[in-house]
Amino acid sequence: MAEETTAQEPVSQPQNSRREALALVVGVAGWLVPGLGHALLKMWGRAVICFLTVGVLVWVGAGMRGNLFTSRGNDAFDSLGYIADLGTGGFYFVARSLETNGPDVSRADGDYGTRFLATAGVFNLLAALHAYEAARGRKA
Amino acid sequence: MTSSTSAVSAALALIALIAVKLSHLQALVIFALVISVAFGFLGRRQPKERVKYILWTLLLFLLVGVGIGWAMYPFSR
Repeated sequence: MAEETTAQEPVSQPQNSRREALALVVGVAGWLVPGLGHALLKMWGRAVICFLTVGVLVWVGAGMRGNLFTSRGNDAFDSLGYIADLGTGGFYFVARSLETNGPDVSRADGDYGTRFLATAGVFNLLAALHAYEAARGRKA
Repeated sequence: MTSSTSAVSAALALIALIAVKLSHLQALVIFALVISVAFGFLGRRQPKERVKYILWTLLLFLLVGVGIGWAMYPFSR
């Protein structure tokens, strides 16, 4: 860790805070639109993969009529599910519009769909964090 | 007129595709494949290493998924 610090060029304080603000914008953009954070960093391959991964997971999850949690949850698991689903950013609303008949977790399909949607959200959060770290200049 | 008709038919085809039913195994394979590829591209690797990582992760996903399925089988009835 100390070697990494000494190997880097000295960065002035305003430059550092500007980079930090830019990284935050990249992270938030990556959360709102899957892949946008990486696209802003010109990591085109990763941007496409993130967009497609989250898109496919949301599409299949909504198609299987998975449960898309809302803020009006009854218990901690509902709240956690809501946080995971919100991780998909703008795709949360896409999933809402795709699920015209609402969720159906009385069948295994719906239960699987719930997992697909939650995984999409958690993966997107991971990808946004990756883009944020990359923007800060960390090895990614 | 023709373009609007084709747009509507494309939208209908899209909706029909969304409503497609997947078996448990198909859902598992799609999930494993998508996540393996995504993880493979998120890390910093050489192309050859990346392919190896994706295949290895995919295999482990499928093995563990089917393994847990069989482990739960005695309790299913």
